[in-house]
Amino acid sequence: MKLIVFNGSPRGKESTTTILLKHFSDGFMATEENTHELAYLNHVKDSEKFIKLFREAEQVLLAFPLYDDVMPAIVKTFIESLEPFCGRADNPSIGFLVQSGFAEANHSRYVERYLEKLARRLSCQYLGTVIKGNANRIEEQPGWMTKKIFKSFHELGRTFGKTGEFDKQILLKLAKPEKLSAFQLWIFRLILKTPLANLNWNKLLKENKTFEKRFNKPYVDEIIS
Amino acid sequence: MRITILNGNPNAENTRFDNYLKSLSDLLESSNHTVTTLKLREMDIKYCIGCFNCWVKTPGECRVADDSRDVCREYINSDLVLFVSPIIMGFTSTLLKKAHEKLLPLLLPYVELVQNESHHVSRYEKYPRIGLLLEKEKDTDDEDLKIITDIYKRDAINFKTSFCFTKLITDSAEEVTNEINSI
Repeated sequence: MKLIVFNGSPRGKESTTTILLKHFSDGFMATEENTHELAYLNHVKDSEKFIKLFREAEQVLLAFPLYDDVMPAIVKTFIESLEPFCGRADNPSIGFLVQSGFAEANHSRYVERYLEKLARRLSCQYLGTVIKGNANRIEEQPGWMTKKIFKSFHELGRTFGKTGEFDKQILLKLAKPEKLSAFQLWIFRLILKTPLANLNWNKLLKENKTFEKRFNKPYVDEIIS
Repeated sequence: MRITILNGNPNAENTRFDNYLKSLSDLLESSNHTVTTLKLREMDIKYCIGCFNCWVKTPGECRVADDSRDVCREYINSDLVLFVSPIIMGFTSTLLKKAHEKLLPLLLPYVELVQNESHHVSRYEKYPRIGLLLEKEKDTDDEDLKIITDIYKRDAINFKTSFCFTKLITDSAEEVTNEINSI
């Protein structure tokens, strides 16, 4: 199987999307005859190359972080470049990976509907959408938190490499929680009352000596009451 | 009301689109609204690169001194913002999306619960209501319009405001003006 992976992270190689894709690709390549090629959509000027890769692909995986509950603009740029492929008979099969910093998969379900429709618009076979929340700065999360996630992505890639389909059970597992449960909401509310809630952001603000400016409102003077 | 129209039409040859917005703007002004139209294709707005410097290095402002700062200024000082765009491949234009995601500094990095979901915390006390004005592409159907509308409704939650309407530029400018006057 020949898989083309489009990495739609605006951060490119230094991104959570890259890390998740690496584990997926490692699993995918466990099947000997498989090949895969990776393209970084943040190299916007390489548009012609992306189109050529899409045209020649058998299977495509388009992966990106959630921006404003939808795809980043660099990914929309790529999607717009695919307009000439709408309705073409021999388009590749396409699947998607959406990751976000929010815990709940629900944030990504709206763009999932768009992606499923996009596949239909392109006459691509829709392979499904992998949704993973709580993934912001996954590289900084402790190993005990990420071990199972990375293993799941490896397994998802391995089974995809064999069957050409996403394992539905793994998709469900990765997407948990779909919404916060009553217990999780209770814990969340408890944490929000403690300094733990903002610990990581405040650490970064202090490192940058901008903690005192964290609530800056650069345009506030003009607000009309 | 102070109204900002974010014109996400990337195609200068699509004069029908821009002419419609001019008529709408004139009608709104004749209804005593103050209207600012930002023609995004004539502005220099870089892609958001997800660096979060607008939260941790230059709080409240994108570190890149591009025209997105003007968009943020107009946005936060408005009572109503119209996101206006031709539909391209089933969604609003890249041009509009670029400007949209550079509104991130208007929020704080911190997270709170809104409607039992995690969302970012407000930076400002007040955010404008939002509306959508779209031009269909040749294969646009009701499902496309519902998908786009639902995503912008999510945006209204993110930006602590309410979503007012989705209108098409095939609706008369008078009809859209009446809709806005009824808000």
